[in-house]
Amino acid sequence: MTGSQAESTPATVASPPNTTLDAAADNDHPLALHSETSRAISDKLQRVTGVLQDMADVVNAETAAALEGIPVPGEGVGGREDIANAPMSPGIPPAAFGAGGPMLKQFDESTVVSRRGSAAGTPPMSVKGIGNKVAKPDYSESKIVVAMVGLPARGKSYLSNKLMIYLKWLEYNVQVFNVGQLRRTRAKQKAQQSGVKEEHNASWFSHANQQANNSRDQLAHDSLEMLIQWLKDGGNVGIHDATNSTRARRGSIEARVAKEPDFHLIFLESFCDDPAVIAANVALKVSSGDPDYKDMPPEVAKRDFLRRISEYEKVYETITEPHLSYVRISRIAFYLMNLHLKPRSIFMSRHGESQFNVAGKIGGDSLLSPRGMQYAAALPALITDNIGDAQLTVWTSTLRRTIQTAEQLPYPKLTWKSLDELDAGVCDGMTYEEIEQAYPDDFANRDDDKFNYRYRGGESYRDVVVRLEPVIMELERQENILIVGHQAILRGLYAYFHNLPQEELPYLKIPLHTVIKLTPKAYGCDEERYTLPIQAVDTHRPKPKSTSPVVIPSTARQYYVPSS
Amino acid sequence: MVAPLYTTASGLLFHAGKILVLTIGLPARGKTHISRALERYLRWMGVKTQVVSLGDYRRKALGGAHKVPHDYFTPGEKSPETIALRKKISDGCEQTIWEFFNAGGQVVIYDANNGAKATRDAIANRFESSGIHVVMLESLCDNKEIIENNIRSVKISSPDYRGWDPDKAVADYYNRIRENERHYQSINDYDWPSIKIVNVGEKIIMNHIQGYLQSRIIFFLMNIHNRFRTIYFARSGQSLIEHSYKADSDLSPSGWEYAATLKDYVLERRAKSLEARGIDPTSRKLVIWTSTRRRAAHTAWPFVAATHGTQAAHVPDIVVPDGDDSAFLESPIAEYGEASKMVPPPMPSKIKIVEKPQMLEINPGIWDGLSPDQAKKYYPADWDRFVKDPYSFRAPRAESYHDLSVRLEPIIVELEREQEDLLIIGHASVIRCLLAYLIGLPASEIPAIEIARGDLLEVVPASYGVQSHQYHFWDGPGRSKDGEPADVRDAHNFYENYAEDTKGKRKVLLEDALQLASESSETPAVPSEGTSPPVVPVA
Repeated sequence: MTGSQAESTPATVASPPNTTLDAAADNDHPLALHSETSRAISDKLQRVTGVLQDMADVVNAETAAALEGIPVPGEGVGGREDIANAPMSPGIPPAAFGAGGPMLKQFDESTVVSRRGSAAGTPPMSVKGIGNKVAKPDYSESKIVVAMVGLPARGKSYLSNKLMIYLKWLEYNVQVFNVGQLRRTRAKQKAQQSGVKEEHNASWFSHANQQANNSRDQLAHDSLEMLIQWLKDGGNVGIHDATNSTRARRGSIEARVAKEPDFHLIFLESFCDDPAVIAANVALKVSSGDPDYKDMPPEVAKRDFLRRISEYEKVYETITEPHLSYVRISRIAFYLMNLHLKPRSIFMSRHGESQFNVAGKIGGDSLLSPRGMQYAAALPALITDNIGDAQLTVWTSTLRRTIQTAEQLPYPKLTWKSLDELDAGVCDGMTYEEIEQAYPDDFANRDDDKFNYRYRGGESYRDVVVRLEPVIMELERQENILIVGHQAILRGLYAYFHNLPQEELPYLKIPLHTVIKLTPKAYGCDEERYTLPIQAVDTHRPKPKSTSPVVIPSTARQYYVPSS
Repeated sequence: MVAPLYTTASGLLFHAGKILVLTIGLPARGKTHISRALERYLRWMGVKTQVVSLGDYRRKALGGAHKVPHDYFTPGEKSPETIALRKKISDGCEQTIWEFFNAGGQVVIYDANNGAKATRDAIANRFESSGIHVVMLESLCDNKEIIENNIRSVKISSPDYRGWDPDKAVADYYNRIRENERHYQSINDYDWPSIKIVNVGEKIIMNHIQGYLQSRIIFFLMNIHNRFRTIYFARSGQSLIEHSYKADSDLSPSGWEYAATLKDYVLERRAKSLEARGIDPTSRKLVIWTSTRRRAAHTAWPFVAATHGTQAAHVPDIVVPDGDDSAFLESPIAEYGEASKMVPPPMPSKIKIVEKPQMLEINPGIWDGLSPDQAKKYYPADWDRFVKDPYSFRAPRAESYHDLSVRLEPIIVELEREQEDLLIIGHASVIRCLLAYLIGLPASEIPAIEIARGDLLEVVPASYGVQSHQYHFWDGPGRSKDGEPADVRDAHNFYENYAEDTKGKRKVLLEDALQLASESSETPAVPSEGTSPPVVPVA
């Protein structure tokens, strides 16, 4: 509804405040500020505010007069339904600062002087336009070494990977340093150079094998050094994925990390003594193509792997060192098994085509188009066919297009405020063409760096990711869920489950009238897509190909960034 | 995700069931600190939670330590009368627990020593057989300093030792601990789901903890600590267009002036408070959280300037337009301003500023840009519903206070975790929710908490709740007095948006709020440590 009012009665809006605003420019005393100026500014702002207020009142009075007989809005939800069917309908007071009307620009021009007057030191820039790029939060102080502890087949790598995906999604720089992988890489190199293939069977893991012991110590040491170097080069969290099963080994890790100022060390022990759980994990490991057992019959592989475990068990010391920071978990292996035995799916669908989709407008809270309604009617059969008798919970946002889409689904439903669409702030309710026309520079800036671009008075994709974090936590815990959501929201969730980089996130294809089914597995997600044969507009805007030079937006905040 | 989402008609979170948390630990191991913190968090999430404290129950039934039989806490065989008395007290507590569950309660934290395995197993079995999930929560402490600290700051000021010589009280308390130690049995079996906390959060060991609420409890416990720190709250400065959420306008001249004054005042206040506790203010960091809105982030600007060069720190004085308001100039604030120029307050060792998108003001939705009068005029039906229930009502596309609380849940956890002194420069709606959490106010009171611009709130988390002081440091456009705009020249411009200005059914001043909190709990939310009354408004 933003700005629509202004469009419908342009004559009223275009006229007033210029005279008042011109006067402000006379008081152009850069930096020097005395009470006279400040009073003048104060008075002027006072008048601007008053004028804007009057403008709104005039508009409202006029529209009210023009619309006599049309029901007064605000009769609860029912009353709003009518308005939404005609989103341009007057009678609603104008959102004075939508980018669709002239007020925002006039306001920005009028306030330049106030900033200059009160400026201190090297102050942040004035506010103009419809948005700006926002720098990534400063995580450079976070330097954490997470060292895994646990016997083989306790889900250490699973845990490392999960942790990495989650933290990366929140924009921390995370890397897993897997000692097993380093071992295989080294062995491969060695084999290529010398032609001798090193056998990494269970006896190589025996602690009686002194030569192998030395090699394994060396590997653990090298991998830790790589991790530390990577943290120094800008990483935030390095995960040392190894058994680290003895006190001596943990002691050496502690001593090494202590040499680095401001590094924090956490041990994460994955512990399990339930034979059934371990057996299930072993079976998973052997059958899921572990590179160590690539060319081995499963039975042989299993036997060798169990022997390897028993070699470790002989020397394994669970964490009890009182001075270390550690987390000891026995649930993960269980969880891993749970996942394996009890698959569940996350279904995602955007709402059916909305009236705003058809009109090309962004944001808003419109209802579905006729084709969107068809989708809502067809959705229950699709979901029910797919999951049969299984339980499922439907999550929607608080916006009416998702609630309407989910209406006919025969499952329990929850609405989440956190699932509401990315807030386009002052641009809410506009078409991209309108935005481009009114604010061409800003428009280009958003295309240039969509993830970091925050709409004025609204959100960036990063803000959405932060907002979705609790949703992710809850999704990890739940079983079958169908999310009826919005484009930007589903992009965020989809990127998490597929571990996609943030640059791609704002351009992911999440078409209308399509159900995406994700089935989480230990190391990723299976995906299926079901597109219903109901036409819908395409709301996807690809990243512009042009690699035009990066424009530094004039509206960007110029905060001093400490170099340390 | 935070639980209010799942609040149901019955008041129980679905599929979470009823939970009894049995605390286990020697005296002065922080059991009460942990129990109260957990209760506060769960209640804020919307879970009906109650701490049942054996100590409180005993004091209520028998009176202070003077009144109990001499062998009640002392070593050795106890007389049959004492044994009967102890049983009577523990049965009474259990009865209280049953009553709370039967009245629709969901979580009870039974704050007692529970040191004997046989006894606690018997209690657990009784509740387990009625379908209540039992979690054992053991608090261990091997840090002598924490124990001594706890005894001196909390225990001997308890009603048990009213009128005692402090050293004698401490000695008596150590005797009580020794008696308990003789019979104390730590958890070393896997019979029950259990959580062991070492040194109030230094280490957490858990076993067989499953379920939503249980894992929330763990997550929360992992984030609490008892390091001394102070939390300050101040509103952001006045902005050019206060009543628009979308315009995201910058500070007004008066807002910039406010920001500069705030910086000086916070640094000075913090230095005084720390010095009063014997802490060197330059030895500690100050962390500042703002929202991503310009008006909030820019209110922190003078702090940024102050950390990078001295001259930049000086914000030109913007004299409040004098006109006929000479009162402003005569106020103590003006004198303060003079004083601060002479002796700059000591700086923290480091200032770190973080902008948090979760801390945005409450979203007014389609009411954006409207004054309360306009909202009332154009949306009369919605307005009525809003006024009837300002906590839960959500205007179209807007957020309710409930939505806002849900959004702030990660901030609550971070607030618990933060160990440094913290200044939150926020919007009124956000400060209301965070304060309600810290003080333990019921949700329905949140919209009515009065947060005036120009007041600095100082909150110190303590064992039984928080200590809170309110300081008035600034007057000017954008501060309202008694619900009326202080400066008539800014009559249109003193609130941030309709919901920010909510007064609700009745106005809750912070003093009242603190009073309310202490009434609603058996243990006062504000411990009377004898130093000062809970709220000290600066004249």
